[in-house]
Amino acid sequence: MALPYYFPLPPVRSQLWMGAVWLGMALTPCILRTTLAADELRFNRDIRPILSEYCFACHGFDQSQREAGLRLDTESGAKATLESGKNAVVSKSPENSELLHRIFSEDEDEKMPPAEGGKSLSQDQKAKLKLWIEQGAAYEPHWAFSPIERPRLPKFEGSSDTSHPIDLFVREQLLQVGLAPSPRAPAHTLLRRASFDLIGLPPTVDEVNAFEKDYAQRGIQAYQDAVDRYLERPAFGERWGRWWLDQARYADSNGYSIDAPREIWKYRDWVIESLNDNLPFDQFTIEQLAGDLLPDASQSQRIATGFHRNTQINQEGGIDQEQFRIESVFDRVATTGTVFLGLSVGCAQCHNHKFDPISQKEYYEIFAFFNNQDEPTMKVYGKEENLPELKEKLKEAEKALQTYIAEKKQAYQTWESKLTDEEKKKMAPNLRKALETEPEKRNQTQIRELFNVEVGKVDSQFQSLLENYTSLDNRLNGVATTMVLQERKEPRQTRVFVKGDFTRPAETVTPGVLSVLHPLAAQEKEPNRLDLARWIVSKANPLTARVIVNRLWQQYFGRGIVETENDFGLQGALPTHPELLDWLASEFMDSGWNFKQIHRQIVLSETYMQKSDDREDVREKDQDNQWLARQQRLRLDAELIRDAGLAVSGLLTSQLGGPPVFPPIPDGVMSQGQVKRQWKTSTGEDRFRRGIYTFVYRATPPPSLSVFDAPEGNSTCTRRVRSNTPLQALTLLNDAAFFEFATALKKIVESEGLEKAFLRSTSRKPTEEEKEILASMDALSVARVLLNLDETVTRE
Amino acid sequence: MSLRDVTRRHFFERCGIGVGSIALHQLLEQSSDAAVSGNPLAPRAPHFPARAKRVIYLFMAGGPSQLEMFDYKPALTKFNGEPIPKSYVEGKRFAFMDSSHRTNLLGTKRQFEQHGENRMWVSDLLPYTSKIVDQLTFIRTCKTDLFNHAPAKLFMNTGTGQFGRPSMGAWLTYGLGSECEDLPGFVVLQSGPRGPRGGAILWGSGMLPSAYQGVPLRNRGEPILNLTTPESISDEQQIRVIDAVRKLNAKKLAETGDDEIATRINAYEMAYRMQTSAPKLMDTTDETQETLDLYGIKDPKESTFARNCLLARRLAERGVRFIQLYHTNWDHHGGPTENLETHLPDICREIDQPSAALILDLKRHGLLDDTIVIWGGEFGRTPMGEVRESTGRNHHIDAFTMWFAGGGFKPGAIYGETDEFGFGAIDHPVHVRDIHATVLHQLGLNHERLVVRAQGLDFRLTGVLPARVVHEVLA
Repeated sequence: MALPYYFPLPPVRSQLWMGAVWLGMALTPCILRTTLAADELRFNRDIRPILSEYCFACHGFDQSQREAGLRLDTESGAKATLESGKNAVVSKSPENSELLHRIFSEDEDEKMPPAEGGKSLSQDQKAKLKLWIEQGAAYEPHWAFSPIERPRLPKFEGSSDTSHPIDLFVREQLLQVGLAPSPRAPAHTLLRRASFDLIGLPPTVDEVNAFEKDYAQRGIQAYQDAVDRYLERPAFGERWGRWWLDQARYADSNGYSIDAPREIWKYRDWVIESLNDNLPFDQFTIEQLAGDLLPDASQSQRIATGFHRNTQINQEGGIDQEQFRIESVFDRVATTGTVFLGLSVGCAQCHNHKFDPISQKEYYEIFAFFNNQDEPTMKVYGKEENLPELKEKLKEAEKALQTYIAEKKQAYQTWESKLTDEEKKKMAPNLRKALETEPEKRNQTQIRELFNVEVGKVDSQFQSLLENYTSLDNRLNGVATTMVLQERKEPRQTRVFVKGDFTRPAETVTPGVLSVLHPLAAQEKEPNRLDLARWIVSKANPLTARVIVNRLWQQYFGRGIVETENDFGLQGALPTHPELLDWLASEFMDSGWNFKQIHRQIVLSETYMQKSDDREDVREKDQDNQWLARQQRLRLDAELIRDAGLAVSGLLTSQLGGPPVFPPIPDGVMSQGQVKRQWKTSTGEDRFRRGIYTFVYRATPPPSLSVFDAPEGNSTCTRRVRSNTPLQALTLLNDAAFFEFATALKKIVESEGLEKAFLRSTSRKPTEEEKEILASMDALSVARVLLNLDETVTRE
Repeated sequence: MSLRDVTRRHFFERCGIGVGSIALHQLLEQSSDAAVSGNPLAPRAPHFPARAKRVIYLFMAGGPSQLEMFDYKPALTKFNGEPIPKSYVEGKRFAFMDSSHRTNLLGTKRQFEQHGENRMWVSDLLPYTSKIVDQLTFIRTCKTDLFNHAPAKLFMNTGTGQFGRPSMGAWLTYGLGSECEDLPGFVVLQSGPRGPRGGAILWGSGMLPSAYQGVPLRNRGEPILNLTTPESISDEQQIRVIDAVRKLNAKKLAETGDDEIATRINAYEMAYRMQTSAPKLMDTTDETQETLDLYGIKDPKESTFARNCLLARRLAERGVRFIQLYHTNWDHHGGPTENLETHLPDICREIDQPSAALILDLKRHGLLDDTIVIWGGEFGRTPMGEVRESTGRNHHIDAFTMWFAGGGFKPGAIYGETDEFGFGAIDHPVHVRDIHATVLHQLGLNHERLVVRAQGLDFRLTGVLPARVVHEVLA
């Protein structure tokens, strides 16, 4: 049986403006189409959105705000007899339903919703509520809180060009809106699309040529192989790592006003490596939320806890440290809720949630999980390192040096005694200081350094001992550090903060989860973060799998199946394809949370492979392309615009991971924050690394990334806006880094010709008309035009 | 069928049969409507007729001391060095609670006099401002919630201490668009020894598209990042590149029907116009010596608050919606680098004449009527002193002074009174939310209706707690 919230698609759907925040949509509400299909009213689709928008704030979950004792978010509440003796909702009896009386009333004292709220129901919405009551006023559970069940695949009569489950679900709905899918995109577009989507880089000219040939011969098989190759490329982890780092609010500085640099890039590399290794998503989640609590936690599992160390740290003078520690816990709760549950849990920090069943007490029960950590910095050793052995070796190496120097004492003393004042003056400060120290009071480092000035310098045996020592010392002490979570032995007491104000602690709470969802696994001890993490990736959780596949889908089609990708609560949008969403979520879980598998499923669907060109009939019937009768052209993400420029111009360095780098930025950018930060522009290969490796100061983010909507890591970002502005044009035209790309591409224009350069930029050959436009220009201008084309910075 | 649909269909039919870029260009020129042209900054009508069209916000970063400038408290001098009565401070929290926070009252060393028709007290630190008090509206009972710099600045700009919300300038350009076609709608200028604490989030666009975020006009080098054509490229080459990009993009637009390409074509045109208009804006050689003197500008090339005030007027003339000037640093805690004896008078000299000149200059250009000028910091300073080898005051959020001018604010009005020590309001407290609601109101926007939907909620500048338009300060 289908789940209760599945509904047949009516020919014309009513749409509520969900305030999509991407450009264009934010300003022009969708046209309201509200034709009623008399026999098809459904609570989740037609009624709950109205009640949630207009009524729940005063007649909803939050008891403290509830007016007249009425709650409309539950069936029993809506149908109960009120203090006044009346009933808000009486099934099939509009005349006795006080709700209808109130919403149709013209009397200012009676009318609902009240005028001072500034919201009023349309005639159509009123009519819907009336019809719903006439039909029996049935309630349905909120779709996102219902368990995920694998839906049956739709069946079509006759033959079809596809049997891919994604296509079947999409085609079923297309059939009902009366739209045909678009044909498959041409070979070069298919490859370019898959390449940008999977590895974040354009295909090379050779790749395009080879693929076009292969595709002509082997068709879809050739495409499948190409997809599989991309999934195995290390660049896959970079492209999708950035997707995750947005959600993890990753950046390389402490934020707030001082915004000092921090070292946490090992966490970034952990994300990239985990995605490349296809670490199952449940494990990926557990290690990030609670890696330190796993039995015999490995170094890598501890690094993963950096996820929740990406909060800002206020280093301003005069602050209360505890206040800002609590601020970061607030952020951890809100981020966990948004990223893994798709719920605005953070809203219940100060009061019961207005729309979703999340009480303030429950908020602090989740808070309690995140209240028991220390926040240390950890040294990160090489993967193969055996620490006790290494320490032992270092000790031995140091001893060997000491012994050797002792043996050569005579030679050394002779050298030192002959030193003139003139010679001493010329020495480095540390050496001068060592010489000024009495010989018996010198430390080992000083003794070594002095010995190495002259006597040891030419002594190959000493040099090899020193080399051995230095390399061991570097392996042990010269390593990078990263910020991690570490559970405290003595837990902190957690109390509800009145109005979210930490100076007003109230009742004590213990760790717990949201009662509207599945329970925590039973156990004797008080649950900790590890239990929370396991609760999140439990297959009984109706949210996480849906939320994550939806966010993957959003990357591939420009919008999620649930448009409000960070709100699956009662105020969120309904899924356009609920069965498809659940099929994907089931697939994801049943495959053992296999990330690459789900990526593969999506990109191998005909739905994904369609052309993206707009069609007049699609415009007319589906302006926002929610039914997917075509693909969607998408401007590349900020980092990928840089990456594409680097790749097109042949400058790209493909080194994976490592400390963040400092590509050229315009003068004066770093002086905009309170403290002027250094930006020592990288040279050599580091100058041409992918955008994901650019150092991000939160207070002064790199302009060429933020101008293309890269988040600054101040709070979790589950969807980037895609703006389109004159400042972006100026960046592509004039920015020093992009000009450098143009200069490199110019050489390619000169050596390999216009056509090749065009092909590098767009993955296709220019038309005669296009060639004509470019032919009359000098090579540098051609290169600049190519880097500025809409097509170059767009995945079609 | 809406206009938008008609135009799109029209466009589709024409471009579908291969009409080249000329037709497209004409089509784009005909349509200034935001939905058709894809210009997110196209002007939009307010909710109701507006008194003001734009805002110039003089942000005194660090928290200026109202007690040395505007809020005259003889009792502070009388009880100098005495502990503040417990009833004032019990249960309150301050910055530097564990170290330098003091509870003894500090009298001011400044001389105060009454000025103008309404006898407004202003200290000797502000001789120029004193002369124009009849044109200003003072609120002495401003109140905020947060007392550390970065969070408080965020609060003053976005209405919340949380990250990820739009700033006032972003809200206004989102609500009203911009009337300037060749400059950004929201411009930020900076002066003083360092940038404001918090940086780019203070003029961020939060969940709104980045088209609405503030664009810093830089005081060194090119005024807008990447405004200048690379050195080796001639003007002619640049025009040809932009023209070729336009032609090729137009072909792609005809082929794909993707509105984003139309937006991009527009963006390149505006970018090109900015390349000419922004340097013209910054080049003040067309100003008279008398004007430069009015602002106290000695070297028009030097980056000072005075020069930024002049630029603010030039931006206002050009129809820019929201112009924000940050001047640092007002954080006078006492001590060798930030005390009330030396550094406060210095910084007052930096801002006094230019702020007053801005009002006079806007007025004579006929711009003051529909421009709101706001002067103030993220909070004020405590009646209690921090006495070291020199004196200073801690951060204070319960009552501080801001002034407003133009845009339908009541000239000469003095609103709100504080207690004998200037600690809190004894009447008419005006919360940051009320200030936001009032400014929006003057621009024709109802603060409850200017919303953006995110995570299932309607976000607004004034948040969810009650906010009121302070009609008493409006003409």
